[in-house]
Amino acid sequence: MGFLRKMRNVFHDDWCSKCQSEMDVARKQLYMLPNMRVGHYVQHDDAKFYRENMIKVDSKQEIPPGIYACGMHVYRCPVCGHKAVKLSVFLPVRDAEKQEQLLYFDKGEMDDFANSL
Amino acid sequence: MAENEKLKKSNLVYILVYIFVPIIAIVICYYIYAVAEVIGAAAVALIFGPLVFAALWWVILGKPLYSMRTKKMEKELDGAGFSRNHTFVADGCTVIVDQENGKLAILFRWNPFRYYVFPASRISKTWVNDGKTGTGIFAGSSRVSFLFLVDGIKIRVNTFISNRRWAMDHKYILEGISKADMMVEVLNDARGN
Repeated sequence: MGFLRKMRNVFHDDWCSKCQSEMDVARKQLYMLPNMRVGHYVQHDDAKFYRENMIKVDSKQEIPPGIYACGMHVYRCPVCGHKAVKLSVFLPVRDAEKQEQLLYFDKGEMDDFANSL
Repeated sequence: MAENEKLKKSNLVYILVYIFVPIIAIVICYYIYAVAEVIGAAAVALIFGPLVFAALWWVILGKPLYSMRTKKMEKELDGAGFSRNHTFVADGCTVIVDQENGKLAILFRWNPFRYYVFPASRISKTWVNDGKTGTGIFAGSSRVSFLFLVDGIKIRVNTFISNRRWAMDHKYILEGISKADMMVEVLNDARGN
C-alpha cells in the first residue's frame, strides 16, 4: 500500500482498507465494560477481551458512574463488501466523555460478535 | 469498637507530637552544642543529627504511617468479616464500604491509630463537590471531592487535588468527578441496606 493510502487510512478509518472507498455505517451499538472501573483502566488491544466483556446497553444513562463504556461502529464497504468494526473506549462522566482508546478491527476479529447483535 | 462512637477526624496529641518532637530535639541539641562547647565529630552530630532526625520523623510519621495503618485496618476488617466491596484511599482519609451489610469503615490521616466502623445508615447526606470556579472558557477546578455527613460531621474525601487549576473538561477533572460520583452511589447504596 502506498504512503498516501496509508495516511488516508490513519485519518479516515471509515474508508475501506481494500478499495479505499468510504464505508457505510451498517450498525452502531453502545456497550458497557463492567470489569473496567475508573482509576483501574487497563488498555486492551485484543478483540477477545471486548467480545467477552462488553454488555449491551441502550443509553449512557444505564451505565453506572465509574464504569467504562464502549461504542461500536460496524462499517460495510458499498463497493467491495468488506467489513470493519471500530471500537471507541471511553469513560462517561455526566454529559462528557473521557476518551481512552480507539480500536479498529478489519480482519474479521469482531464480525461474529457484530453479526450476533 | 462501638458502632455509635463519635468520629474524631484528628488526634491533637498525634498532631502535636508530629510537629513538635523534632523541633524540641533540634532546640535541645543546639543548646547543648552552644553551652558545652562541643567540637569535632560530636559537634557535627549535634548540628546535623537533629536535622536528619527531623526529616525522617516528618517523612516516616507522614504518609508511610498512614499507609501502614490503612493496611492494618484492612487486615483487621477482613478478620472481622467485613466485606471490602469498595475502598477509596485519599490523602486525608480512607473509606471502605461493605455494601452487602451496609457498613462503613473510615481511617483519618490525622488520627491514624483509631479507625471507625459504623452502619452506613448514620450517613445523612452525600454529595459531590467538583470545585468549579469561573464561567465559560474560564471554568476550572483544582479539587474534586465527595462529601458525606455522619451525625452532622462533614467528611470530605478528595478524589483529585492539584496545585494548579485545570479546565473542567480535562481528563484529571473528569476522572475525579467520575470517582466521586461512583463513591456517592456506593455510599447511597450502602445506606439503603
